[in-house]
Amino acid sequence: MLVDLIVFLPFVMAAGAYPLGRKHEKIRDLLVPAFAGIELLLCCLLFGGQGSGTEITGVLSMGLSFTVDGFRTVYALITAFMWFMTSVFSREYFAHEREGLARYYVFWLMTLGATEGVMLSADLMTTFVFFEILSFTSFTWVLHEQTRAAIRAGYTYLFIAVIGGLLLLMGLLLLYSAAGTLTFSELPAAMERILTNPPAGGASAAALTNASSAGAFAAPLPNAASPGRLLAAGILILLGFGAKAGMFPLHVWLPKAHPVAPSPGSAILSGVLTKVGIFGILMTSAEAFPAHPMLGAVIYVLGLVTMFLGALLALFSVNLKRTLACSSMSQVGFILTGLGSFVLQGAVAAAHEGASALSGAGEAVREALAGGAAALSGAGASGTLSALTGEIGEGRVLASSGLMLHMVNHSLLKLALFMIAGVVVMNLHKLDLNAIRGWGRKKPLLKLAFALGGLGISGVPLFNGYISKTMLHEGIVMLIEEAETAGVGAFAVHVLAASEWIFLISGGLTFAYMMKLFFCVFVEKNADPKVQAAYDGASAADAASKDCVFASGSQRPPKTSETRAAADGNAACRRRPYMNAASAFAILGSAIFMLILGQPAVMTRLAAFMTGNPEILEFHAFTPGNLKGGFISLGIGAAVYLLIVRLWLMRKGVYLDRWPKGLDLEERVYRPLLTKALPGIFGAIVRIPAENRVSSLLCRGVLAAGKALARFFGENRLLRPVCRGLVFLGTFFGRCLSTGTDAFFALLRKTVLRERRVQTAEDYQPGKARTAVRVTEEALRPLAFNFSFALLMTCLGIIVFLVVLLLTIL
Amino acid sequence: MSGGWLLLPIGLPVLGGLYVLFRKPGTDTRRLVICEIFTLAAAAMTFAMILFGDRGIVQVFSLMKGFAICFRVDGPAMLFAGMVSAMWPFVLLYAKAYMEGEHQRDKFFAFFTMTYGVTLGVAFAANLLTMYVFFEMLTLVTIPLVTHYEDHDSMYAGRKYAAYCIGGASLGFIAVVFCSLGGSEAFVYGGSLDTVFPAEILRLIFVVGFFGFGAKAAIFPLHGWLPTAGVAPTPVTALLHAVAVVNTGVYAVVRLTWYVYGPELLAGSRAQLVCLLAAVFTLVFAAVMAVRERHVKRRLAYSTVSNLSYMLYGVLLLTPAGLYAGLLHMLFHGIIKMSLFLCAGAFMHVTGKAYIYEINGAGLRMPVTFSFYTLGALSLTGIPLFCGFVSKWSLLTAGAEAGTPAALAGVAALIAAAFLCAVYTISISVRAFFPETGKSSPEGGVHEAPWQMLLPIGVFAALNILFGLFPGLVTGFIQEISMGVF
Repeated sequence: MLVDLIVFLPFVMAAGAYPLGRKHEKIRDLLVPAFAGIELLLCCLLFGGQGSGTEITGVLSMGLSFTVDGFRTVYALITAFMWFMTSVFSREYFAHEREGLARYYVFWLMTLGATEGVMLSADLMTTFVFFEILSFTSFTWVLHEQTRAAIRAGYTYLFIAVIGGLLLLMGLLLLYSAAGTLTFSELPAAMERILTNPPAGGASAAALTNASSAGAFAAPLPNAASPGRLLAAGILILLGFGAKAGMFPLHVWLPKAHPVAPSPGSAILSGVLTKVGIFGILMTSAEAFPAHPMLGAVIYVLGLVTMFLGALLALFSVNLKRTLACSSMSQVGFILTGLGSFVLQGAVAAAHEGASALSGAGEAVREALAGGAAALSGAGASGTLSALTGEIGEGRVLASSGLMLHMVNHSLLKLALFMIAGVVVMNLHKLDLNAIRGWGRKKPLLKLAFALGGLGISGVPLFNGYISKTMLHEGIVMLIEEAETAGVGAFAVHVLAASEWIFLISGGLTFAYMMKLFFCVFVEKNADPKVQAAYDGASAADAASKDCVFASGSQRPPKTSETRAAADGNAACRRRPYMNAASAFAILGSAIFMLILGQPAVMTRLAAFMTGNPEILEFHAFTPGNLKGGFISLGIGAAVYLLIVRLWLMRKGVYLDRWPKGLDLEERVYRPLLTKALPGIFGAIVRIPAENRVSSLLCRGVLAAGKALARFFGENRLLRPVCRGLVFLGTFFGRCLSTGTDAFFALLRKTVLRERRVQTAEDYQPGKARTAVRVTEEALRPLAFNFSFALLMTCLGIIVFLVVLLLTIL
Repeated sequence: MSGGWLLLPIGLPVLGGLYVLFRKPGTDTRRLVICEIFTLAAAAMTFAMILFGDRGIVQVFSLMKGFAICFRVDGPAMLFAGMVSAMWPFVLLYAKAYMEGEHQRDKFFAFFTMTYGVTLGVAFAANLLTMYVFFEMLTLVTIPLVTHYEDHDSMYAGRKYAAYCIGGASLGFIAVVFCSLGGSEAFVYGGSLDTVFPAEILRLIFVVGFFGFGAKAAIFPLHGWLPTAGVAPTPVTALLHAVAVVNTGVYAVVRLTWYVYGPELLAGSRAQLVCLLAAVFTLVFAAVMAVRERHVKRRLAYSTVSNLSYMLYGVLLLTPAGLYAGLLHMLFHGIIKMSLFLCAGAFMHVTGKAYIYEINGAGLRMPVTFSFYTLGALSLTGIPLFCGFVSKWSLLTAGAEAGTPAALAGVAALIAAAFLCAVYTISISVRAFFPETGKSSPEGGVHEAPWQMLLPIGVFAALNILFGLFPGLVTGFIQEISMGVF
């Protein structure tokens, strides 16, 4: 009941908010945070309802089901919390915007409901349903501004979301046809059954619950549970959810959508909606593929690529929100790497148990899979992440805790950071680093909040990111150790060791780009002294009325002489404080978590609650070994900042965009693929034969055959006329054939390509084929589009009819 | 002739149409009332037949042995006739609003009403010959509707339509002849052919018949007429060229495949492969063409081509699950495409514009119309909560279950087509609601469509969501049809 309320109440509220929002804007602006607050309170009640679940049958053919466990509780709560904070912040952010805001808030609340639906879902179908809803409702935020860039980014977001949804659908389909269920708690048992039984036709037939398949004419059932199809299902689901998570290679929407979306929207897109994708990947791989070596490797590698590429893009970016967006991508990579190491450790352990190598034959892999699945599903408690509890290795505990904590950390971090970016936007309406440079110099509150976020995300000890990153790092270290003892081969171990370094370097890059942002916005002076004066003046005005930050937004700060001196500066900055009390509350309220969650005691308890596994309580964050990893990362980061950012990415105090323009996956690959290649392929199917002049070749072939015959029989007087006739007939039929084929292709070209332009001589090679095409086209036009053609066909039908009648009568 | 009642729903609309054609009622309202009376009476009769009528064969007359005109109410007939009967009265209402101020309204409404009767004739036909006769009549009776505007484009479209459909039907005629001689006196679930002819020849004839009847369902080489016919008035493109006429093609293929040949004769044969691949190719190809198309109705027409091939794909899988999915998609696609076409028609009627780039910002002026459009678009793409998802999911599961390479290629093609579908339908919504700032094209006088238009659209949108949320309302029934219970 409570769960239903949490999921469906926002939809009801959205329906109510729209008519209200169009008429009474003030009430709406108060009501939306209030709605989010109600949702937050409801989510707090979830702590009392552990293990409960509800099911709604009869809808959507497969029904909807929800469940509550530690991880879901925490994430439902974080979702509601983020919505609440951003709603509070939205009031000021959208203060000058009236048009389209009612629409925005409707989709805002609907997305909240859908996100809670995903976070509390108990089966993949429910996850999928709400996942699709939130794809479409959140899409409206991206093009909220309705500028050209926003609309383009909106299309990118939409199409990636649709592609992701369809890949996911395909994956679910394959998984369902193999396992016969999509409920998370039933998946481990189902997968174990598939893996332990040889996947013969009978096994999969039993798994298929669809009644219609038992029909009289059912085709022989295929190998629905073959390893190949299972792996395909896993990878498709991974890609589907990964599209929303911002995983390489479907990450392209992230850097495009964030800079154009409103900042509260960016905070949610980055903080929660990427986690929706992670949630799906995590649930699927933990329940259905807890020890699948191939899938684990795929997740691990894609995680590494996403992590490193995101950090690199963020380092090169010269746009505040773009940097944060790329950073989101990178952090998602961290989480996925953790998940990959989790699955791989399961695979390695299982392989070790089965006394067979990871890279062994298919039989060994199957045994390993079965062993892993059996070991993992046995200990599972119902309704929780069964694979994450139970008797599992220390490394897996670390990896699972680390990835969950990093999810929490990243959500809260990006909440604070994007809201700070929002403050910048609402004051300056600019995001370019060179333009906003120095703006935050005399704004201590903002500076503090940003510093907390930066320290947290970079993994500096005593702040939240450190603990989760350390756990992830330790997870990888454990994986390497286990791989060595299991004897998976020297090459694999080297690769894993290299991946540890990629992890550390990516952590360093994180530190570097956060330093770049912090120094740019909050420490350095703007290149233009006048602008700097205006920026400082605005701040000085705020400082003069010291607590005006906490006063209401309408209160005017006293005009000091300093502000008047900066008269040609930004007018908006001068007249009012840069943010009001509510926004300050939202930002500081989020940033404070960087400190609270920096405490190991808090973090390990949280991890134990989320994973349902108390072993993590024994984790010590500040051992020398753990600190060493953290400091290596930070050292790399400092070096990168000093050497690369200061020396190469800056010239004469200006931040340069040195990312090669050609390196854009979307512009270079995806869009051309859709707009050019796909129609092109269909065009080519029709065009190739015509241009190779198949027909004229045929014609020549027939002629040559006839002539050869004539030469062969040329001596014989009796046969000579026959041969002449043959040559004549050959020529005739050859012509006909050539004309016919050309005409066929011409017709195809007309119907398939629908080329409107006049075909010029260059389109065809000079020769007979061209004229033949033109002549036959003209000849066929009246024929094809006239009754006579129909009559002709009818006559043909009648002739056949008569022939058959005759045949049957005779 | 004990069940002669069955002739009433077929005959009534034809009579009504003839009455309107020759007596020419003076005002729009009177004409509408007459048409509605005949249509509603026929629809009521149809539903009465479906619910209470007996299931026996009604023979009207016989040409010779094996060539008789007879009718019967069985499973697919119930589905198809019920679906068409539920839609026709609403579209008449819409047509009244849409055709205001057009010329020759008597002619239009007369043929529009007659088409209903002929469609029911196809639905209730009990053997191939009867179906063929009504199939040809359907083409003839709809030609005046396609050429209604009587300008150059319309006449061209009419000729093309006739050529493709009559030409196709004559191919179908070959199959009719062979099957009638082959002992198929009435449709029987699972096949009714004796093996008079060698199986190989029969299969060859199947391919001929498939493409023949498939011409109305716009299968690939014979799809050209449908986009061209988009010049017809919107009620025609909506009801006839998205639902009634084109589904007749699918319906004929269902009859040919499942009720004449039967899966046993066809499963695994090259004939199945060829037809299946044609359907798979068409469904991707048409989706690509739809993306390229700039004219709203032609784009939707290509989308119809694509979706008809979804149904053919399902039917040709030759499993009950596939037949179920195909029939389900026939129903749901009908509902969705009606709402899409009616919305597009409302836009064209109100603004007088027809191209995609002219839609910029129209959603802000006509919010109700375009909200309904968006619901349809999401449904067609296959988003859960809407009925399109249910049928697409069934098609995909059926394809994955069948598991042959061609079927799996079809699954991949369905996914690709679904993506393209999102591109070509949802981008219209995006343009309508999120115009680039300062580029909103419809100005001043554009307002919401009249209620006669919004009511039918609203009904279809409501059905869309209703069946999306509670597919159980119809799935059980269709499942029974596909298992041959009726």
